[in-house]
Amino acid sequence: MMDVRRFILVGVLVVASVVIEVTVLAPLPFPGATPGLVLVVVAGIAFALGPVTGSAAGFSAGLLLDLAPPAAGTIGIGALTLTVVGYALGRVFESDDRPVILTTLLTAAAAALSVLAVAGLGGLLGNPRIRWDEVLSMVITSALYAALLALPLVPFIRALCRRVLPEAFPR
Amino acid sequence: MRDIQRGRVVLAILVLISVTFILLDLRGSESGPLRPLRALGEAVLGPLERATATVVAPTTDFFRSLSQLGEKDARIAQLEAEQARLTAELETMEYDRDRARAVDELYGLVSANDYVTVPAQVIAVGPAQGFAWTVTIDAGQRDGVQRDMSVITGQGLVGRVVSAGPFTSTVVLIIDATSSVGGRLAGTSQIGIVSGTGRQDVLQMQLLDPLAPLDIDDVVVTFGSEGGRPYAPGIPIGRVSEIRGTQGQLTRMAVLQPWVDMSTLDIVGVVLQSSERNPREPLDGAPLPTASPSPSPTASPSPSPAATSSASPVPSPSATTLPSPAESATPAVP
Repeated sequence: MMDVRRFILVGVLVVASVVIEVTVLAPLPFPGATPGLVLVVVAGIAFALGPVTGSAAGFSAGLLLDLAPPAAGTIGIGALTLTVVGYALGRVFESDDRPVILTTLLTAAAAALSVLAVAGLGGLLGNPRIRWDEVLSMVITSALYAALLALPLVPFIRALCRRVLPEAFPR
Repeated sequence: MRDIQRGRVVLAILVLISVTFILLDLRGSESGPLRPLRALGEAVLGPLERATATVVAPTTDFFRSLSQLGEKDARIAQLEAEQARLTAELETMEYDRDRARAVDELYGLVSANDYVTVPAQVIAVGPAQGFAWTVTIDAGQRDGVQRDMSVITGQGLVGRVVSAGPFTSTVVLIIDATSSVGGRLAGTSQIGIVSGTGRQDVLQMQLLDPLAPLDIDDVVVTFGSEGGRPYAPGIPIGRVSEIRGTQGQLTRMAVLQPWVDMSTLDIVGVVLQSSERNPREPLDGAPLPTASPSPSPTASPSPSPAATSSASPVPSPSATTLPSPAESATPAVP
């Protein structure tokens, strides 16, 4: 029962964030990178529900980003990156003490590293689109946007999870 | 302890699946084993994106804001609603007028070229950190859109359809680093290859003839492919803004600025059918100075020098009668 609700909650969050990222955020002319809403949502889920759900959410979100039109990159790169992000961020906190500053900074760091990882993997696999002169500004701006998004979203997703899945929060 | 182990197992499995996907996709994304997965993604997520884009459009924004008005003070709410409605009406009028103008411009291009097009709206854009310049439009196979069709606006060439789902299709813009289009200079009919650089306002044109005369502000139009696919002939691409390499050098490069502002794409047209008349043939009724053998009526995708030299000095019937770039193209015509 709890697994079904967990599945639905994560599914709705992931699908909504993917669709909003490509239809609302990407067309807006943000300088540098597009705000990584999907990554922030995966981070929020990982912080709230741990590494297993975090990596599963990261995998499905990344795969959806790889598949959602107008995606043109290699299928699997986004899935791989966000799986690792979901797992790593899910492992950070063992106790229930999660300062907002720390979750925000960790999300920003994950966003920066994921942009680097996607560009690096693309470069290794011979993607002709990667422009290294822009990678640095992409890394910096995506970390900034991720921090701004994580500040309200990570606590919000935690509250949402606590409300929908009270069993997952015994304390 | 058991939990940590479970987490590691899940991580390992998911990473393995991702790597498998990457390897499978690298074998060929068009015909490879992941093609059905991509098609599924397009069929399921396309309509979702389409619905979301409709919801965030300004018109529906207005209705949402109306429904959210409070009910406490009925009169204030009513007045506010009235004001909001009128303001929004004004705003949407502006928006509608812009859309109408875009459609008009499109129509002008269409009638000039006898192109049959499907109008479509851009509903989604690829995230910038993917470095791909691709957009999704809200027309798909149901509307007659197929792979490798040109996408245009009233200003000029936007890109080509790389995959068509049932309700949406994905377009690669000409500024994408993987895009290359056969182009020709409108004044001199010199041909070259126009490729994207990944920058929003810069295209590169490699001229096939290093001795070709080339000037700043020369207009470049599409050369056209066989059957008008992927690129229909005579569509304006851009304007020469910089010339690299001197005349006679082995590689001669021109930097172009595209006519279409790619950051504000809204309404575009997908060319279903190009004109039956081949723009590389002399204009109807236009006197030709020499009786050189006219190029074969079937357009060949490989740009042969013979076809260029015998082509009419007028670039194409379309480019000279186009709305905005036409003005700059016309003086080049002798």
